[in-house]
Formats: sequence, structure tokens, C-alpha cells
Amino acid sequence: MSPFKYIWGMLFRLFPCPEKTGLLRIRNPGPESPVLVTCNFYITVRRLLRALKGIDAWVLVADSKGVNVWCAAEGEEFNTHSVVSAVKTSGISGKVNHKNLILPPLGAPGIKAKQIKKQTGWSVYWGPMRLKDIPVYLEAGMNREHRMKRVTYKWFERVDTALGSLFPFYFLGAIGCMIFAGHLLLGYLVTGAVVFIFFMTLCPWLPGKSGLKKVILPEFILFCILIAVSWMDVISPVHLKANIIIAMVMMLIYASELGGLSSIMSSDLDPFLARLGIGAIGNINFAGTVRTELLNGYRKINYNKDKCVSCFCCSEICPRGCWEIGEDKRAVFIKRENCTACRACLVQCETHAINAEFDQ
Amino acid sequence: MDKASKGHVTAVKKAVACELADADHVLEIGCGTGELAQMLVSQGSVVHGFDMNAAMIEAANERIQRNHLEDRFKATHMGVDGMDSLPDAFYDAVVSTLVFSELSDDERKYVFKHSARVLKPEGIIVIADEVVPENIFMKLFHKLIRLPMLAMTYLITRTLTTPISDLSGEMKKGGFKIKKEILRHGGSFAMVTGKRSKGV
Repeated sequence: MSPFKYIWGMLFRLFPCPEKTGLLRIRNPGPESPVLVTCNFYITVRRLLRALKGIDAWVLVADSKGVNVWCAAEGEEFNTHSVVSAVKTSGISGKVNHKNLILPPLGAPGIKAKQIKKQTGWSVYWGPMRLKDIPVYLEAGMNREHRMKRVTYKWFERVDTALGSLFPFYFLGAIGCMIFAGHLLLGYLVTGAVVFIFFMTLCPWLPGKSGLKKVILPEFILFCILIAVSWMDVISPVHLKANIIIAMVMMLIYASELGGLSSIMSSDLDPFLARLGIGAIGNINFAGTVRTELLNGYRKINYNKDKCVSCFCCSEICPRGCWEIGEDKRAVFIKRENCTACRACLVQCETHAINAEFDQ
Repeated sequence: MDKASKGHVTAVKKAVACELADADHVLEIGCGTGELAQMLVSQGSVVHGFDMNAAMIEAANERIQRNHLEDRFKATHMGVDGMDSLPDAFYDAVVSTLVFSELSDDERKYVFKHSARVLKPEGIIVIADEVVPENIFMKLFHKLIRLPMLAMTYLITRTLTTPISDLSGEMKKGGFKIKKEILRHGGSFAMVTGKRSKGV
């Protein structure tokens, strides 16, 4: 393990941290051993290997440009081609006597399971949401318990994902403080870290569905404190006031992309930037993508029951459990309000029974 | 891209085209917008190019229509994993510029395996790409200057490239005899021409 790559991957998740692609042998795998596919983000590969401790398995590391499963699938960097190419070029066919691939379910927005079957002959089985459930999942004959199909956003997951995405902004802020206001640096570092832990810990209980709505109450409280401190004119309030302002700004930054960090909430930032007319930064597109247009309400998820072939892909893959199967064995979009526009159902529905047409 | 590279990419493609002056049927791996293919067609070749980037294939098809190359150049949306669908012993040459550094080790092996299969017995392969310099000082210098370039490339194209440490060695292992190897830019860029070994 490379400590530098681990730290880079943990703190700078906005940038790639690639692991070598190809086939890995875990312990002593044989022809019957399971084949698990993952992306080539360094941290993900390390964590998968840790989860497979004591299990004989093959791990196929497919190219995702060094980006994690969820982000790479959303950005279409971890896609059908990545998996097809890994299957065909790794030589896995000659090592096992089955044709079953276990894929990370958060890869569903980028990977078309049925296309993989068509192009390689390998069947796709979606694995459990959490790596730690893999041993139980394998023991149960690749059957997912209900809880393994749904995504969570627990404290560790919130801190883990937010740390990797927000640290670069925290780091840039620290450099800015060092250059322009060295006397505020210590306060900035402490306040930024405290606000981060506070916000990530309390966010499930803060009112509002999106990050920007959740931040309203704490921002209001901090604003009241700021007014009170100014009004009371206590001893040396300048640093205190500066730290409160820092806390307000930092919380706003943390909240602005809280949804985008998780697969349980909708992104705020992308649709907001698209509405402002900022279509892209570099090669990261905000405007024009199906997801952004869904979030901005320009499109909406439609379902054509007549085209449904009862494959149950939608109910199997939705990380939020928005789809259920009715008595007539057809899908029902039962929890529209939970939809985060991840597009997993859209991508997996080959008959286009589920589509995202422009809202009239 | 060519503006960003100050014309180096076009220069590389011209050099590659010169190597393939006698080839009738050429397979281009990662044909992009079809710039090299058009050069090859103007030399008399018939080119089948493929690229996994749909936007590139669209641009290549526009080029085909604009220059009436329909009979001489075909552009297919396909990745290297689709090479197993190509016919045996059909092409006189296989060519690739600035694509190998984007492929994984397994994909490169796969490309060589299928290139050997699709080439005629006297067929040649020409690969031009970024390589790791052999000289230790150049290797260090290359690493230093490459880092900001890599960041810039990622921001513009969202792709990561990995210079190949032994392109000729990989080509030999893939069933080719090395005919010519030209190194440029302090040994950080190579154009390697190989000939299909007998019995492959």
C-alpha cells in the first residue's frame, strides 16, 4: 500500500487517484471463485481487497480514469466499455468456468448490464451497496438482502465523502489566509474543521432536503450570534467576529455540494450553476446533461407501462427504493419524491419504459 | 488539440503516414477525427479507423462527407476490445498514434495479439506514443515537466495518459520484429515500426 496515494485519494477525491487496471487474485481463487468488478480508484480497490480478506476471489479492476465508482459512473468514465474491455482483455474467461460478474451497484448510472451480457456473454449481478456486506452476500449465493440494495449516508460515509471533496477548498482557503491574513490562519483552520464536523454530524436532523436548505437554520443562528457579539461589544470581538464569518462561509461551501457528495440526496450546485448560465468548468459539464435537466425540472422521469417487460431492473437498482413492483408484475414509481436523478433506472431500462422526456 | 501541441501532433501523423506509403489496407486504432486517415487516403490507402469516442467518430464522418472519402475511409465507433470482430490477415498495416498511452497493460497486449492476427504475413505495425526515457536524468526531467502537463491534459480532456516503459519490448512479445525505432523529445516520444514475425 502507498501511504501517499492513500492520503491523496482520501483528501483530494476531486482529482484522479488511479490504481493499475487488470485482474487480481485474492488468496487462491479457482474456476468456481466469484469475479468482482471494481473501478480503478486507489482507495476503492484497497477497501475492496480489505473486505475480501479470507475469501478466494478474482477482482477485475476496470478503468474509471482513477475516479471512484459513483462519480465515475455519473461522469460516464466508469461505463459499459470499461467493463467489456476489462472482461475481454484480462483473460478472465480462461480462468473460471462460469460467466457471472459482480458489479458495484453505484456503477449502474454508467454501466448497462444487459449490454455487457450482449457484448461478452457475461451476466451481471449487482453486489451489495456496502463493501462490508460482500462476505454475507457471497455466502448467500449472490443474493442481496433488502438492506444491501439501499444506499445509506451514515456519519462515517458523510465525513469520508465530504472530506475527499471539500478538503481542496479548505486547503485553498488556508493558503489564501496565509498570504492575505496570516493572523487569521489558526482561527480559520480550527473553525473550518469544527464547522465541518458539526455540519456533517447534524445534517440529517437539520430541516430541509438539500444542502442549501439545511444550511439556512445554522446560518441564521450564526448570524444572530454575530449580531449579538457586535451589539455587546465584548473584549476583542474582532477575532470572534472574523471566526463567525469564516464559519458562515465555510458552512455555505460545505452545504452547497452536500447533495452532490452522496447518492442519497440531489446535487444543488450543478443545477444552480446551469441556471446561472455556467455550462461547464473545464470538461465537467453542468448544463445539458440529463441529470441536471432532471434536477432543474426541465425533464421528468416518465414511465410507459406498455413497454415494461417486467425485468425488475429498476426496483433492483434504485439506491433509494423509488421503484416497486406491482401486483401485475410491472414497475410502479412509488416514491418520486425520493428520486435523486441518479439515472440508474433510466440506464438499465433497455425497453425505454422509463425515460426522461422534456416536461411540457 | 493541434494548436495546443503547437503542430507536433500533425508532424507526428505526417511522419507516421510516410512509414505507410506502400500500405493498401490500413487499420487505424483510435482514428480520432480522421486526420491521419485522410493523409493515408491521399497516399492511396484504404483506411478503416475506429475510436471509442463517439464525438470523434462523428467528426471523422463529417470529414469523410466533406472530402468525399466514403470509398476510402470508414470510421467505426468501437474500442480496442472490439478488435476480435475484425477479419484475419486482411490489413497491410496497423497504426496508432497517441492512443497506447491511454490503454491499460492488458489492453495493449490484446491489441498486439489481434494486430498480429488481422495483419497479412508481411504486414507492419506502426505505433507512435509517449514513452519513458531510458536515460535516468531525462527520466527525472520528464517526470518533473510531465506533472503540470498531466494536470492540464486532465482538466481539458479528462483523460490520463501513462507513458509506456518498454514499447519495443511489448511489441516483440506481441509477435513482431522491430524494423525501426525513432526517439524524439529527449527519448520521451517514440515511433516504433514492427513487422509481423513468421509463425504468428
